[in-house]
Amino acid sequence: MEKPKILIVDDDPDLRRALKIRLRANHYDTVQASDGYSAISVAQKENPNLIILDLGLPAGDGFVVLKRLQDSDTLSDIPVIVLTARDPQSSEQKTLQAGATAFFQKPADNNELLDVIRATLPNPWPGTALPS
Amino acid sequence: MNNGHTHVLLIEDNPGDADLVRLRLVEGDSAVDVNCVSRLADGLASLTKQPPSVVLLDLNLPDSRGAETFRKVLDHAPGVPVVILSGQDDEALAMKALHQGVQDYLVKGDITSSHLERAMRYAIERQALLRSLEMSRHQQLEFKNQFLSHVSHELRTPLTCIHQFVTILIDGLAGEVNPEQRYHLQTVLNSVHQLRAMIRDLLEATRAESGKIRIEPRCITIGDLIQQAVSMMAATAKEKQVGLEVGLDSRIPFVYADPDRVLQVLINLIDNGIKFTPAEGSVLIKACIVDADPNMVYISVADSGCGIGADARALIFERLYQDPNSVDNNRSGLGLGLFIAKELVELHGGRIWVASEVGNGSTFSFTLPLYSLAKLLSPVVTYEGKLREAIVLVKVELTPLASVSRTTWKEVCQQSLETLRRCVYLDKDLVLPVTGNVGFSETLFVAASTDVERAPVMMKRIREQLEAGAGFQAAGLLKVSASAVPLPAPEDGKALPELVRAVAERITEMARLGMDLKPVPESGNGDASASKLSVPD
Repeated sequence: MEKPKILIVDDDPDLRRALKIRLRANHYDTVQASDGYSAISVAQKENPNLIILDLGLPAGDGFVVLKRLQDSDTLSDIPVIVLTARDPQSSEQKTLQAGATAFFQKPADNNELLDVIRATLPNPWPGTALPS
Repeated sequence: MNNGHTHVLLIEDNPGDADLVRLRLVEGDSAVDVNCVSRLADGLASLTKQPPSVVLLDLNLPDSRGAETFRKVLDHAPGVPVVILSGQDDEALAMKALHQGVQDYLVKGDITSSHLERAMRYAIERQALLRSLEMSRHQQLEFKNQFLSHVSHELRTPLTCIHQFVTILIDGLAGEVNPEQRYHLQTVLNSVHQLRAMIRDLLEATRAESGKIRIEPRCITIGDLIQQAVSMMAATAKEKQVGLEVGLDSRIPFVYADPDRVLQVLINLIDNGIKFTPAEGSVLIKACIVDADPNMVYISVADSGCGIGADARALIFERLYQDPNSVDNNRSGLGLGLFIAKELVELHGGRIWVASEVGNGSTFSFTLPLYSLAKLLSPVVTYEGKLREAIVLVKVELTPLASVSRTTWKEVCQQSLETLRRCVYLDKDLVLPVTGNVGFSETLFVAASTDVERAPVMMKRIREQLEAGAGFQAAGLLKVSASAVPLPAPEDGKALPELVRAVAERITEMARLGMDLKPVPESGNGDASASKLSVPD
């Protein structure tokens, strides 16, 4: 069975690497992008099942990416989880209004993040353990 | 003023005095134009319409007299310099005027033209200086806020990386770790959590200072929150071999507060308690009602630690204060926790204080407002001076579909609450305020004066109205159920308010238990009517 594919968009290569290790250990495939522009092109090419998106990005910040995803015919259904260092009081509502499914402030709790990923992915996903 | 025209607003009702002032102004060297009005109301209108460079103000006018006059002008146009022209040489009044923000006080008979011109010029300059001081203070505060917000953002990025890789190691995702290595890694992780808490406090304190903290109160059961806080702190307590004990008065009604914020306060106090208690000691968290203050719940966190001296007690809630005698210097934090706790408690209308003796531990206490259901319930449960014959509590559960975002869901819940308020009989029924902790699914309650037989009709109507609500069908699942409220027997001979209070307590208890459990049977009441109903979905 094919594993669910998650696109990690973050400009910090170390964090992308860490998330990749964490997600692969939980039976997800990952692809990566390091800026707003390539986020869209990778999404178009790879057609991921979910996107983890940072807000502060070069070449089009997270809000630009959210807007472009929403406006796209093929990408608007992909759920987006925002993972950012920004303050939830100023950013959470804005990102949810822009179409994100969930908001996490860095550093996020791994289990909470994985729970939301499981709940957000179109289910039941073959080959993935469902939350009890 | 220096280069251009000076626009003078003269508020003076005596034509002779007005002419004299005008003459003095024209005699001077600088370019001046004068707008003269004789009533305060006209003066205030002119201030709004065309702010002058300076106001020359007589105190006794047809529509205002004495100190009242300059107070009104200062309130109306705080940035405009005011010079008082008074008929009387009253030093006390002059000082009072200056203290409240007036720039100068001149006695009419003594005015020469150079005197007046200088007074006006200085008044304008002083006012400008004041304004720029105020502006730079404001800018500094703004700069500080931005700086802290930026710093906390920048600190989070490397902290996230440390957190990620340490947890990768601890979880064995990069190969097995032996127990000693795991122990060391856990120490790193604890420090990461501490650092994260400090960064959060830094921002929170900044917000508290500029009044930017918001609270969203709802009906909550304080016991549940205390249990939640205790279970969140259990690991920390265990590690330090400090016991956590809870003592709850089971009869506490709903508390009207923001659950997230109260949890924050509790965790802060419990964390402090653990920090300052030596191994084998304990921290006791209690909640109770105090007879002398029946509208508040009293919550206390008592530790068996080293205690706090009188000097420190006076300062402990101040921002950045740290007790120099604190036992645990390497884990002392930023000194913001209690400051934030105090701000949060006061935002709820409560207060916070500490009782302590050196060597005998400390007890931190705070109060939160209770929600009075009895007051609101009165129209629902009484009728012509009697208790109604039957009351049903309807429970409405809203559960979101997985695909719904939290914002959309919040809106749907808000709309459903509005719909619910509209579709019940306003004179006989009552929609209880939102209860429970903020969760993804919401439970709403309606107390309705209807009998058990008629409850299904009401439940059907509630269901239809809610489902007709915009966006609900696409967003969530709805479950409506009802349960009869056991009423106190009329022959008890109690006064009506007492009966109402008894019903309120029962309803609170039922809502608190979520009606999943059977309502607690009352002694001597038989309680055969507590049957549970459910409308099939």
